Amino acid sequence: MVATMEIIESFFSLFSDFVEPKKRVFVGYLLLSIFIALLWLIFIKRLSIQKAFAKILDRKVFFSKSAQADYKIFLINRLITFFISPVLITQIAIATTIFYALHTQDFISAGQFSDVNKAIIISLFTVSMFLIDDFTKYLVHRWMHKIPLLWAIHKTHHSAETLTPITVYRIHPLEGVLYASRGAFAQGIVISSFIFLFGEAVSLYTVVGVNILVFIFHVTGSNLRHSHISISYWPWLEHIFISPAQHQIHHSIAEEHYDKNFGAALSIWDWFFGSLHISNSDQALEFGLDKSEKSSAVNLRKIYLTPFIEIAATLYKLSKKVLRSLLGLIRSLRNSIWNLNSHLGRKL
Amino acid sequence: MFKSLITASTLVLMSTAMVGTAYAENYGPYPVTVKGYKGDKKNSVSYTGQVARHVLSDSIKKLAGKSDGKGDASQILEYFEGSKKDLPIIAPKGKDGFKIKQKTVNEISKGKNISGKFYDGAVPAWPGNMTGKQVVKHMIKHAAKTKDGFDPKTGYDYAQLISKFTMGAMSYNQAVDNYLDEKLRADKKPNNKPYKKGAYYTGKEHSWDEAFGYFGAAAHSLELSAKDNYLVAKKKDAKIADANGDGVIDLKSEMVFGNAYYAAAFDKSGKTKYMPTIMKAFIDGRKLITSAKGEALTDEQRAKLQAYAATIGTTWEKVLAEAVFKYAGSVYKDIKKLNGAKDDEKAKLYRKYVKHWGELKGFSMAIQSGKNNLGKTAVEMNKLIGFGPVTLNDKYVTGVDADGNFKMDRRRSWGDYQLHMLKVQKLMVDTFKVEARVNDGTENLAKMLKELDAELNAETD
Repeated sequence: MVATMEIIESFFSLFSDFVEPKKRVFVGYLLLSIFIALLWLIFIKRLSIQKAFAKILDRKVFFSKSAQADYKIFLINRLITFFISPVLITQIAIATTIFYALHTQDFISAGQFSDVNKAIIISLFTVSMFLIDDFTKYLVHRWMHKIPLLWAIHKTHHSAETLTPITVYRIHPLEGVLYASRGAFAQGIVISSFIFLFGEAVSLYTVVGVNILVFIFHVTGSNLRHSHISISYWPWLEHIFISPAQHQIHHSIAEEHYDKNFGAALSIWDWFFGSLHISNSDQALEFGLDKSEKSSAVNLRKIYLTPFIEIAATLYKLSKKVLRSLLGLIRSLRNSIWNLNSHLGRKL
Repeated sequence: MFKSLITASTLVLMSTAMVGTAYAENYGPYPVTVKGYKGDKKNSVSYTGQVARHVLSDSIKKLAGKSDGKGDASQILEYFEGSKKDLPIIAPKGKDGFKIKQKTVNEISKGKNISGKFYDGAVPAWPGNMTGKQVVKHMIKHAAKTKDGFDPKTGYDYAQLISKFTMGAMSYNQAVDNYLDEKLRADKKPNNKPYKKGAYYTGKEHSWDEAFGYFGAAAHSLELSAKDNYLVAKKKDAKIADANGDGVIDLKSEMVFGNAYYAAAFDKSGKTKYMPTIMKAFIDGRKLITSAKGEALTDEQRAKLQAYAATIGTTWEKVLAEAVFKYAGSVYKDIKKLNGAKDDEKAKLYRKYVKHWGELKGFSMAIQSGKNNLGKTAVEMNKLIGFGPVTLNDKYVTGVDADGNFKMDRRRSWGDYQLHMLKVQKLMVDTFKVEARVNDGTENLAKMLKELDAELNAETD
């Protein structure tokens, strides 16, 4: 009886993200996304209410083979996270190391700014957390696309041929580890520096337990990024915030869209580093990967195993290259000794 | 017939219940079990010598804290080495609403001293390559040269240094390294003989009682909550302290001293149960000895007793580690306050910092005076805490010269010293698994991380 209860409980906890306001797929945010999509389709795209609903709840999207694979990957990844312990321990280690190191700096001292107005401290902390988190997301995401070893892992996410809010979970478990480490590092730096400088007053402005800025990101339709509803902003706004349409461009198969719009919430990073692509309100995009990528939108075995094979192949190629240059070096050394010998022999 | 049987059995049940309650909650009274004892004693419990020593130690703390700076240490030494005179109790003294039964040390126990029971092994934590007894005398000598036991130049608070060191070098050492260790061997102080000729307690009974006496709990401490024990030690609640209700507090059995006070103080955090764990082990052990009825203990009984002793020893060590943790945290916080302080606040804050450092240093020396050789942990702890705190001109004590005067020829930044304190706290967590963790320097950090609760499946795009 107890065992059955436990199984039922564990089963429900697989879906706990839907009732957790810290998560993007929280049911409240999903409903708001539908509402925003409706407004967009009715008032901007001039669709009737019926048509708008039909467009939002498009069977071809939500029951596509790619989407079905998303759902399965969601479950498998949730199960995998059960077995991998949380990263909190590493995060504490990172934060503590930085906290310790700050004490040895002569130009600052612990609690140096602890008498600053509390509201200012909290605002600064809230904004810093959001900015650093968003910037490191941009950076790691960029590396995921530019470094072949990481692209092998990140491809899983881009193999989706239709986008639904659940596509956010379509990632290879190794990417999950990388992203969590990024979070641990980014938060570790900000938290330890703030607590060192400002002391006990440090805390976040939150709504339902979430950083208020992250909350704003979610209630303004963060779920629409992975969807077929292509909402664009005014071009000036797309230089600051990434619109759903801009992120959809990031998933586009078209060559001119490659390596564009890496940003999470803010597009300023893309703007600064030259990877910004403004959306077009009538864009018709095809999502997924080029055939040359040898990935699959639906084959789970391929999705989970290909990254390992490709990593091994890349490493093999790399080691062969290193070995070849080492051999070359030995050969040229041998030749020069040879030459020297014969030169000396001739002299003698 | 039937009726009387019921009455008799009810009476038997009631009396066992009563005895049971008394046994379960108080340390004593326990019957006399020495074979052939002819005297009129009914209770074999005796640890007045230990109570007298707590009183001597508390009095020294008070005297060191009132030094006039003229360099005359003779009064403190009287309390340390014992005196032919009947010494007045200087602390703990009664006050309105908390009347104490005894006024002089001899009213508790005659002819007692601290010096005879002081750890005399090597003390690498104090400069000068001295033994425990030499160190405390060195401290006493210097205390007499200061005003109120406070030396701003070196950053020493002698009242704190001496009293905290004594809690380890006398109480903890005598209990865990002598009475709960050697004296539990079969050939030492056997249970089938009186402790000494004519005594009303057996060898093992008295050895156990002595250890309990050094711990410093009241006989009824197990009945009390952590907060109540704390209130008794602080002389804040006579009603709770006065177990027999005679209107006065008997230092011999109703007061909470030294180590026991700290055990209860950490239990107040709700995270630990040091006081009940130690009390229960003492009571269970004493009941086991009493149950042998004056016969020599079997190997099995002694093994059980040693297990109780081990519980007491490890828990006690943890209490001292908690104290090191707590005061390392206080020193950390004091530096933080000193950093941002205005000049007119500095003197007051510095005095507090020196007091806390004295407690930290004293406890760090106390924990090294027990049975266990702390090895690397001790070396690390001594290095981190140093011979002295970083003083207002960034200098700190690095050793003593040939005349025993303190040398201060190095400087260290306040920030570096704060980091040392954080590392001391980490060392206590890693080595002793302390749990109360009062004044945790990284508490906010851990709390904030927990709140943000990063998870492995962080969202990605």
